Amino acid sequence: MLEKRLIGVITVKDGWAVQSIGYRRHRPLGRPEVIAENLDRWGVDEILLQCIDRDAQGGGPDLALLERLCRRGLSTPLVYAGGVRSVSDGVRAVQAGAERIGIDALLHDDPHLAAELAEPLGAQALIAVLPLSVHNGALAWLDHRSRLSTPLAPALLDVLASGAISEVLLVDWQHEGVHEGFDERLLALWPMPTQPLIAFGGLSEPSQLRGVLERPNVVAAAVGNFLNHREHAVQRLKQSLAGLPLRAATHAPLDPARAWS
Amino acid sequence: MAALMHCRRCLYTSAHPLGLMLDAEGICSGCRVHEEKDRLDWAERWQRLESLLAPYRSRSGETYDCIVPVSGAGDSHYIVHLVKQRLGLNPLLVTYNKYFNTSLGIRNLANLRIRFDCDLIQQNVNPHAVKKITRATLRDFGSDYWHCLAGQTVFPVQTAVRYRIPLILWGAHQGLEQVGMYSHEDEVEMTRRHRQDHDLMGREADDLPTMFDTLKESDIWQYRYPDDAALSAIGVRGVYLGNYVRWDPKAQHEQMIERCGYRTAAFARTFDTYDHVDCWNYMDLHDVLKLHKHGYSKVTDHACREIRHGRLTRAQGLALVRRHEQAAPQHLDKFCEWLGLDRSGLGFLLDRHRNPRWWREAETGRWAFAGASTTAGEAAGVTMPPASAVFEANDVLAHDGIDGYITIGKGHP
Repeated sequence: MLEKRLIGVITVKDGWAVQSIGYRRHRPLGRPEVIAENLDRWGVDEILLQCIDRDAQGGGPDLALLERLCRRGLSTPLVYAGGVRSVSDGVRAVQAGAERIGIDALLHDDPHLAAELAEPLGAQALIAVLPLSVHNGALAWLDHRSRLSTPLAPALLDVLASGAISEVLLVDWQHEGVHEGFDERLLALWPMPTQPLIAFGGLSEPSQLRGVLERPNVVAAAVGNFLNHREHAVQRLKQSLAGLPLRAATHAPLDPARAWS
Repeated sequence: MAALMHCRRCLYTSAHPLGLMLDAEGICSGCRVHEEKDRLDWAERWQRLESLLAPYRSRSGETYDCIVPVSGAGDSHYIVHLVKQRLGLNPLLVTYNKYFNTSLGIRNLANLRIRFDCDLIQQNVNPHAVKKITRATLRDFGSDYWHCLAGQTVFPVQTAVRYRIPLILWGAHQGLEQVGMYSHEDEVEMTRRHRQDHDLMGREADDLPTMFDTLKESDIWQYRYPDDAALSAIGVRGVYLGNYVRWDPKAQHEQMIERCGYRTAAFARTFDTYDHVDCWNYMDLHDVLKLHKHGYSKVTDHACREIRHGRLTRAQGLALVRRHEQAAPQHLDKFCEWLGLDRSGLGFLLDRHRNPRWWREAETGRWAFAGASTTAGEAAGVTMPPASAVFEANDVLAHDGIDGYITIGKGHP
């Protein structure tokens, strides 16, 4: 069986790693590279670096930040998202050190162009980042620039069905940063049952993560803010998720009672 | 470089070195988190604290329940009051000798230990290593205080591992209080990452020695954080009382002055007479370096805190900042004597760390300041703050007449 992954998310705004709450409020955390180094040491399975102001600024990917991270010699695979406007932007982000690329705004603007990224990079290197909510019993897809939600576009679903993008990061943006906020209806309503999914947004507690990761099409769960509140948060979370096919934590706490509290 | 943005409520800007986020209304993350102090149910949060600490109480009463890092200033008296008198725990107090000690700080530390009837252990790193480190950090990144910050944040953790006492109780979380890094409800705990990122300005002890310096591993090893395996084996956990108690340093200090004999002193560079009275440098050389590097100084921190607590208006706070932030340091000679520098050498180093974003050399040796307070708005003609906002000093830094560093001091109440 393929192992599932626990992804550590670093959200970057104005150059600072931040806690993000509901795509609206932000609290500063520190230097992205120091947080990445810490997640790497703790044994997270993948790091998602998402620069949330790059799409609106139109400045392309934050290559300088990627290069700073790479100089740290991290061993954890890195996903980069933010400001990817073209095939060349995606290629440059990979050349700067990202293993994979997350695309968000481009899927609204030109989903077929997003699919063209698979030519030079391969589908395995592409993740669709979809901020979703449930509206009148159906999925609504947010464009974070305009803050307007619309139904999932047929062109998007066509691109996903073509296999040009390997995984979908399904973001519960309304409950991002809310303890135990993740709305599992997003997974239940997702229309493509064999599409590998990553769940993100309001996943804070082991029981909730376990429920999400036990779904067959969920290949990973992503956690952001909550990994910054405790020492050894990744190790403790993984210890609490024992029995799931996850890579073992580094230096797991010895006392099971303190695994996650 | 991003444009400088001012919070509409306090005096912080988007250039704060801990990071600061401004929302759509122009209010900063620090002010937003401060609003929680008037929204949260603090009685309920105290109950949460008691539940959280219950497993750490010693059943036999023959061991320490927790470690409490202390100094001869700051919030130490209030923290020990909470831990010992309100929570009924038996703490081991630990303190790092910063060498820049005032006799008032030595006196306050002795008062703390005796008044609250606690055991206290002190870490004295050998002074040759401390001086070598201080020369390197002052030269490389303009910090006379790295060894103090590193020592006072690592010695409690080392002691937790060494004595197998897993619980460390700290006061308020600086990042939460100043810039709203966390909500109180996040109940953030101590982490190695935060220490490296913020307390140590991104530089761990092992980052200090370079091939171009005389600093060696033998000088820095005492500042190394215990490794993950050691922390996990003991289950070391650092809890911030500020997440569970409505933190108000002015009110707390005044309670400690009245009930527990805490003593205070005036400074030229701020109006707050309660903080940092244990150190000749913090409100002096260290504060000048802060102004050089970051374009604001400690008086801005104090004013922001008082504005948020509603004891100063923004204009009153700004007037106080402008009154104090350019005041000349008074104790540089003590530092030069301790480190073996002359004043011109120190002056050269201080100028080297003037950030061109905030400083322009108008002519040789004359610097024009363009820091945050110069663009923060109008403060002319403001009325004086009310009596409730006044900080009074009841002592002097040279408490027993010793106008210099007490490098090792036991003190007396």
